[in-house]
Amino acid sequence: MKIVFDNVDKSFGIIHALKDISFKVDQGDFVFIVGHSGAGKSTILKLILNQLKPTSGQILIDGIDISTGSKEQINQIRRKIGVIFQDYQLIFDKSVEENIALILDIVSYPKEKIQERIDEVINQVGLENRRFLFPSQLSGGELQRAALARSLAIEPEVILADEPTGNLDPENSWNLVKLLKDINQKNKTSIIMTTHNYEIVEALGKRKIEIVNGEIKKDSNKTPKKIIYSSKKHEHV
Amino acid sequence: MSTFKTTWHHIRRSPFQSLTAMLVMVFSFLVISVFIVVNYGLSGVLSYFETKPEITLFIKDGLDSQTVDNIQKDLASYQDIKEIKYISKDKALEIYKQENKDNPMLTEMVTASILPASFEVTVSDPNTLEQIYQNYAAKNDVIDEVIYQKDIINSLLDWTNIIRRTGVAVTLIIAFISFFTVFIIIGMKITNRKEEIRISRLLGASHLYVKKPFLLEGLFYGVFGSFVGSVLTFSFIIIFRQSINSFFQPVEFISYDTLFYALVLISEVFLGAFIGLLASWIGAKRYIKF
Repeated sequence: MKIVFDNVDKSFGIIHALKDISFKVDQGDFVFIVGHSGAGKSTILKLILNQLKPTSGQILIDGIDISTGSKEQINQIRRKIGVIFQDYQLIFDKSVEENIALILDIVSYPKEKIQERIDEVINQVGLENRRFLFPSQLSGGELQRAALARSLAIEPEVILADEPTGNLDPENSWNLVKLLKDINQKNKTSIIMTTHNYEIVEALGKRKIEIVNGEIKKDSNKTPKKIIYSSKKHEHV
Repeated sequence: MSTFKTTWHHIRRSPFQSLTAMLVMVFSFLVISVFIVVNYGLSGVLSYFETKPEITLFIKDGLDSQTVDNIQKDLASYQDIKEIKYISKDKALEIYKQENKDNPMLTEMVTASILPASFEVTVSDPNTLEQIYQNYAAKNDVIDEVIYQKDIINSLLDWTNIIRRTGVAVTLIIAFISFFTVFIIIGMKITNRKEEIRISRLLGASHLYVKKPFLLEGLFYGVFGSFVGSVLTFSFIIIFRQSINSFFQPVEFISYDTLFYALVLISEVFLGAFIGLLASWIGAKRYIKF
């Protein structure tokens, strides 16, 4: 899946949350979006999911402009994206297993293989003993792993992870990031992860897009040759 | 997770709301079924009277056959006469015995001599009926009594119409109340589950996917309510059928026809399904905005 932001602006009334954002993510890329709280990192992920619409500019996913795409096109795109929300967004009255089963049902995963797939991802994230528990019965780290299991279940082309280490202790944070890195290497799944944990970003040495006050301050992937989506404002980067 | 499983999960998770929807539906169809059965019974009563001769002239005992013939010829001379039927004393006894065959006490004491002979006259123009009544009511030498059923039929027709109209109005009001109850309860359930719907939509669920369990839930309330309401009514009616029918004898007020009940049940289940589905569909359209 190829994601292209082309001069995207997003305003909430008088607040200019994103200004002239342009970047491209190819299949298999691992990208960190970093910045302080309120910089606009989560807004970028919400725009990719079409949870928000840009005020101006274009967001192309596999060549489809998601602002003008049909409902069915948006649904199809969302079914290829695994999301780890900052606040997990697990359904509170469904067990871990049922939460995973739900997304598999949404993507029309073959019914006879659903249980097998649930077992696989639950083992992958190490929640074997927590599969029948409800979100309210899990710790922060377990919730994060449950959200990861749900996003992995559909074998997504892209994983959007919104501050996935935000509520985790250092050990769990590293475990989660290591898991994402493995998935990225093994499956060529693109990962777009927002974080303000610079230690992890530097340690992994992956591409980093730094957002400051809604603007791209630095995109580590950009060389003068690659600046094809950037506005004139950012060409000096 | 199948839609059925999700629907069942929704019903189980808010049992009091679900129970309210089901009880309102059951009560509605209980009342609707009662009106249908009463209406059927009234139609039977009405058609019984309508098929009876419209005027009956009981003639005096001891008249010679020439006088009886003359009365018959005179009656035949009126315009718009459809049928004149002479009921002799023996025939009257036969009818009496037939109508009271279940009560031997009543038939034992009666002989043909105490029952009057009569003419049963059916006309096509009610004005002719009025003329016959005016002429024969005064002929006390040959006529014992004149029974004119116009007033009974008119009065019965008035009552039947009132009950039918009331039935239609009550049915419409009740259907409306059921519709709104299901609509509001589905709306409440959607509001309670708005987070789940929003998350499902973000994960790629289509509008239909998130709507389906609610549509199925409305359909379930409609089908369950109409089925239970109708079956309860029919059960009570079948239990008390004999007593009710003996009160309305010789009219069969409560039908013995199984096909009638089967047709009413099927129609009511369809109506219930329609109300439930429509209410939940409009509810889902109104409240699911993600």
